[in-house]
Amino acid sequence: MTPAVSPADAPRPSGTALRLDGATFAYGHTAALADITVSVEPGQAVALIGPNGAGKSTLLKGVLGLLPLVAGSMEILGEPRSRVDRSAVGYLPQSDDLDPEFPVSLRQVVMMGRYRSIGWFRAPGRADRAAVDAALDAVGLQDRARDRFGTLSGGQQQRGLLARALASEPRLLLLDEPFNGLDQVNRDALIETVMLLKARGVAVLVSTHDLELARQVCDRVLLLNGTQVAYGDRDEVLTLDNVQRTFREVQVELDEHTFVTPGHDGH
Amino acid sequence: MAELFLTPFALPFMARALLVLAVLGVAAGTVGVLVNLRGWEFTSDGLVHAVFPGVAIGFVFGGATGLFAGAMIAALVAAVLLTMVTRRAATSDAAIAIVLTAMFSVGIIVVSRQSNYAGQLEALLFGRVLTISADEVLHTLLICAGAVLLLLLTLKEQVFRAFDPNGNSAAGYRPFLLDLVLNLAIALVVVAASSAVGNLLVLAVLIVPAALARLLSDRLVLLFPLAALAAILAAWVGLSISFAGSLRGGVNLPAGATVVAVLVLGYVVALAVRLGIDRSRPRPDSTPAGGA
Repeated sequence: MTPAVSPADAPRPSGTALRLDGATFAYGHTAALADITVSVEPGQAVALIGPNGAGKSTLLKGVLGLLPLVAGSMEILGEPRSRVDRSAVGYLPQSDDLDPEFPVSLRQVVMMGRYRSIGWFRAPGRADRAAVDAALDAVGLQDRARDRFGTLSGGQQQRGLLARALASEPRLLLLDEPFNGLDQVNRDALIETVMLLKARGVAVLVSTHDLELARQVCDRVLLLNGTQVAYGDRDEVLTLDNVQRTFREVQVELDEHTFVTPGHDGH
Repeated sequence: MAELFLTPFALPFMARALLVLAVLGVAAGTVGVLVNLRGWEFTSDGLVHAVFPGVAIGFVFGGATGLFAGAMIAALVAAVLLTMVTRRAATSDAAIAIVLTAMFSVGIIVVSRQSNYAGQLEALLFGRVLTISADEVLHTLLICAGAVLLLLLTLKEQVFRAFDPNGNSAAGYRPFLLDLVLNLAIALVVVAASSAVGNLLVLAVLIVPAALARLLSDRLVLLFPLAALAAILAAWVGLSISFAGSLRGGVNLPAGATVVAVLVLGYVVALAVRLGIDRSRPRPDSTPAGGA
């Protein structure tokens, strides 16, 4: 694992990476996630935690501009949504719906992260290839670069998509359930990459079911259940009471309470 | 061999036929790769049928020149409509099926008002590549160039969208715009093919070469030349066989249909070879299962 970007090129973040004030996002005419107020600084990682349907993905899609903001306000990197440089926001979608037979190499997939900055009608240049190399190095997949994407294991595909998000050299990175179905090796590799990005001043939003993981990589936690249950420093927010309020209606998730009780970390 | 595969093309009408089919092969092969990657075979079918009334009306009122003009107007309208329909309708297959059958019947009704109805319908559906004029060759060339240009100018974004539509939208690309450009490129190929291979056989030229190329390679950059090459080879071999059969064998082999038959035969052979290779070589266990 080597840094994706040398210190000289590292993004020089200034100001708040993401600010939401009473933000409400909607699918069609239905509010899917209401009244979110958070402020994320560069170098911070925020875990989005809540049961299925709580609005974790909705929040990420709202920040990406894929869902309309119907109330409240949103500022990304100090700009309103419409004026944000698209390549400054990286996104790691859930990868399970990609066609494994699709004829693209890992390298080509990572290059897709550069397309916004390359622009229409133009081919990748030297700087783009260098950024792709750096991103592949950062996730430890340089040796698989020429392989077809579909031949990678699930965990490697996930890291490959992370490399695509990194290739645009984002200052705000959104990760949607990045640890689902990962084995220990890929999980550790992903955690290491996220820690590295934080150290370089990238702000990270991670949606996850995994409270243990939230403890390992995130400084702050946003508990969601259709609306904001709590937001703040990890240790202050992850209380038994808060987590109970977040997961109250979901039978299956009740067992997960044991994860947050002090002294019961485990998996 | 030379007598079978080379001599016929000394005749001007055979040379024109080969040229027009080769140009069409390059355009249809290139655009077809994206159709294949998007899984848009059925949408393309809808587009093909929707262009038909334009072809028919243009032909009835303006002859061979009117055919291109009518097809072009219908193609533009159909591309926009289809892009909108497939984005809004929940069950887009039903929407496409309704649009395509409705448009197709309009075309048939228009043609059926002509005298010599059967002959003209046949020409529109299956083409008349052997009686194509020099003007029509030029038209085909220009329209094909337009289709390829639309695709090349948006190629990297189109491939991105085909591979990962959600990631593509998240990166800020507008799905409607990319889909419209691709539908326009397909529609242009359909128009270009109208007089040469006809409205029904164009689908084969659009879909089979790309499907064949995917059997031969899983490298994106190779798919485009492979698909084009397959289409050109099929045109050459098909025209030769059709010529030999009709003039010397005493079997009347329609040129357009013979070319498509050769193309499909090539696909079947490639499929058999591919299955043979896959069976004799154990899959690496990191390869996820999935259809071709």
